[in-house]
Parts: sequence; C-alpha cells; structure tokens
Amino acid sequence: MRNAQFWFVYLLMALLQLALTNYGSVTPYIMITILPVMVLCIPIRTGTVAAMGIAFITGLAVDWLSEGVLGLNALALVPVALSRDGIIRLVFGKELFARKEDFSTKRSGFPQVALAVFFSLVIFLLVYIWVDGAGTRPFWFNVGRFFASLAISYLACLLSVGTLAPSHK
Amino acid sequence: MRQQTVFPKLANLAVFILLEIASLYLITHNAPLQRTWVGRAGHAFMGAVWGRTQAIGSYFSLSRTNEELARENQELMDQLLYARERLQRQKVDSLYQESHPGFTLIPAEVVKMSRNKQHNYLILNRGYADGIQDKSGIITRHGVVGIVDAVSEHHSFVFSFQNSDVSISARLGEEGSHGLLVWDGITSNGAILKEVPLHYRYQPGDTVFTSGHSVIFPPDIPLGLVGDAHVVNGSTNEINVVLFQDFKTLRYVSVAHNNSFDEIEELTP
Repeated sequence: MRNAQFWFVYLLMALLQLALTNYGSVTPYIMITILPVMVLCIPIRTGTVAAMGIAFITGLAVDWLSEGVLGLNALALVPVALSRDGIIRLVFGKELFARKEDFSTKRSGFPQVALAVFFSLVIFLLVYIWVDGAGTRPFWFNVGRFFASLAISYLACLLSVGTLAPSHK
Repeated sequence: MRQQTVFPKLANLAVFILLEIASLYLITHNAPLQRTWVGRAGHAFMGAVWGRTQAIGSYFSLSRTNEELARENQELMDQLLYARERLQRQKVDSLYQESHPGFTLIPAEVVKMSRNKQHNYLILNRGYADGIQDKSGIITRHGVVGIVDAVSEHHSFVFSFQNSDVSISARLGEEGSHGLLVWDGITSNGAILKEVPLHYRYQPGDTVFTSGHSVIFPPDIPLGLVGDAHVVNGSTNEINVVLFQDFKTLRYVSVAHNNSFDEIEELTP
C-alpha cells in the first residue's frame, strides 16, 4: 500500500518536473530539477538494476514530453541510480539495508537526508551540464551554471524530499 | 560468498553501461551539437587507441622492415657501383680521346661475342647512326679487340682479334722491331708476334705495343708482355705474347676511327 502511494507521488513529481522544465527556465544559468531526489527516494527493496531502469524511463519521459534533448536527463539520471546504494550506505549506514527500511527525515535526520540529496544532485548536474554544453560553452559558464542550478535545485529537492520520504514512514 | 557480491556489481555495471549507451544514442540522433561532440570525442579516442596499437604493431614488424631496408640498401649499392664504373669509363674515354690524336673514339658496349671458334666475332650496340664506320679499330685500355667489318643503323659486326684471319701490326718495346700479332688460337689471352728479325734483341717481359703503321689502330697502345720464343724457318722469331686484354671479361670498348682513313686509302695502290 505504501509502495503504491510512493509511486503515485513519484508520478506527480515527474509531472511537476515537466512543468519546471517547460516553465522554470528563466535564464541559461539556471535549471531546476527534482529528478535526482526522486531516484534517491526509490524504495531500498527495489534493486539497483531496477532503479536504473526506472531512472532511465523517467528521464526519457521528461525529455520526450518537454523541449529538452531526448536522452539527456536519462543519461544524467542513470548514474544517480547507480550510485544510490553507495550514497545511502555512506550517509545513513548499512543498517537501513539490513532492516530493509527506507530513509526518512524523522528517522534518519534532516541533515543526513540533505547530505544524501546534495550528493545525488551534484552527480546529476555534473553529467547534465557537461553533456548539455557539448564542449561549446566556456568552462566558467558551466561552473556558474552548475552552482546556480545546484543552489535552486537543492532547495527544490529539499522541499520535495518531505513528500517522497515522509517522516511517518 | 565472494561471487555473490561480485556478480550483482558486474550486473549493475553492465546495465549502467547499456543504459548510458542507449541515452547517448538517443542524444546523438536528436541533437546535432551533441552528435558532433560525441563524434569528435569518439574519433579522438579511436585515434589514440589505434595509434597506440599501430605503434605496437610497428615494433613487432621491425625485423621485416630491417630486411627490406637491407635489400634496398644492397640495390642502391649496386646502382652506385654501376654509376661509378660508368663515370670512370667516361673519364677514361675522354683521356683516350686526348691520347689518340687523329682518331675519333666512340664508346660502345659488347652485346654479343663468340670465343670458342677459330673465327670469332663481336656485335656492338653502336651503328652508323652513332657515327661508326667499317674498318674502324676496336680498342680498350688493355689492348686491341678487333676490327669493324659491317655496320647497321644501331649495331656493328666486328672481327674479333681471336680470329685466325685478323692480324695487327705491333712493335716490340718503345722503339723495337715490328711484326704481326695474331691470336694463338688456343687461349683467351695468348697471342704470337710473328716475323721478328733474328738479330733483334729483346727480353721476356718486354711490352708489345701497336706500331701505328696500320691506319686502323692508333700507335703505342700496350698490348701485352713478351714470353718465350722460337725460330721459324731459320729466318725469323715467333714470340709468345701474354695479352693484357682478357676477352673473357670484355664488356666496354672504344671504336677508334682514323680521321684520315679515306685519304690514306685513296693513296694506297
């Protein structure tokens, strides 16, 4: 039941991401994304291979339904899914895997969740901005875009994580 | 236990690579900018990889390359020696021309020669198109070779000195007696100097020269060295001569034509 609820919220978040992609691009320096936190919050019982598949389909759907380059979000999101296990082990410890419990802000603490979100967002933005620039944009433009997008997207992700990984879990 | 941890990681990696390749495929087929970028990166990667493998392949094929270089070097050495020989011959011919005033010398090459008959001949690669005339003498640095008997446009037929019908006017020493030099009919470098007066003194090892009494050969060409002798009919000596010219190694010759030949012939009864 809780699983079905999660995937319903996941779907709503994907629609929100579509809206952010289509209407949230006010400057080339800023891109707003909540996709990394969506992938990070996929239940632990879902294996890495399945998580990568879900990330790929999600990224592809967002690309297809928005005006982006088809495959770009998928390319940046799959590494997040691959490193999801590692980030969770690093930030929350191995106990979550032993108990097969998902992390939440109440159980794991907001700072740790924020740190995990930060890591996943950094991975996503590094790949996304690097490939999106395709070697045509200056290095400092990419650096500026990375930090500006990191700041805004981090805020959006922290606001979303409460919905995806609620405290009552 | 170890397999249980390694296999999932490999599976994760394989699926990850697969999905990333799929993403890249989609990107390159939908965005020209990214397509160019990925293509360029791919070319750079391939260039680096193939360049390295090419270097490795070149290292292992060094032995074959060395053999090819050695063979090529040998061919170049042969060409160099041939060129030097030709150059040397041209210099000698030039000196020859200066040492035989009154004669025109034309270099030629023997293209055919018989040596195992009593009436041997040569064929040269020069004819009347090259200025060759019949009754010209064939000489080398080592002596006389024969007399031109017939000329075509590009070739000449020569009676070899190794022909029982050919005789040359020769002289013993710098100012000695004259006689007729003929082939001994047996060896490739043997001759007989006939009709040498008995009173004439000579020593074995003296040099025999062309006399200059012939209109065909220039004078003072060294022909050979005096060997043993015997008296013929109690009136003349016949002296064995070892020729300088070895017909077995004959290849390049000079055709000597007396510039006054026609004038002298007209005066001859």
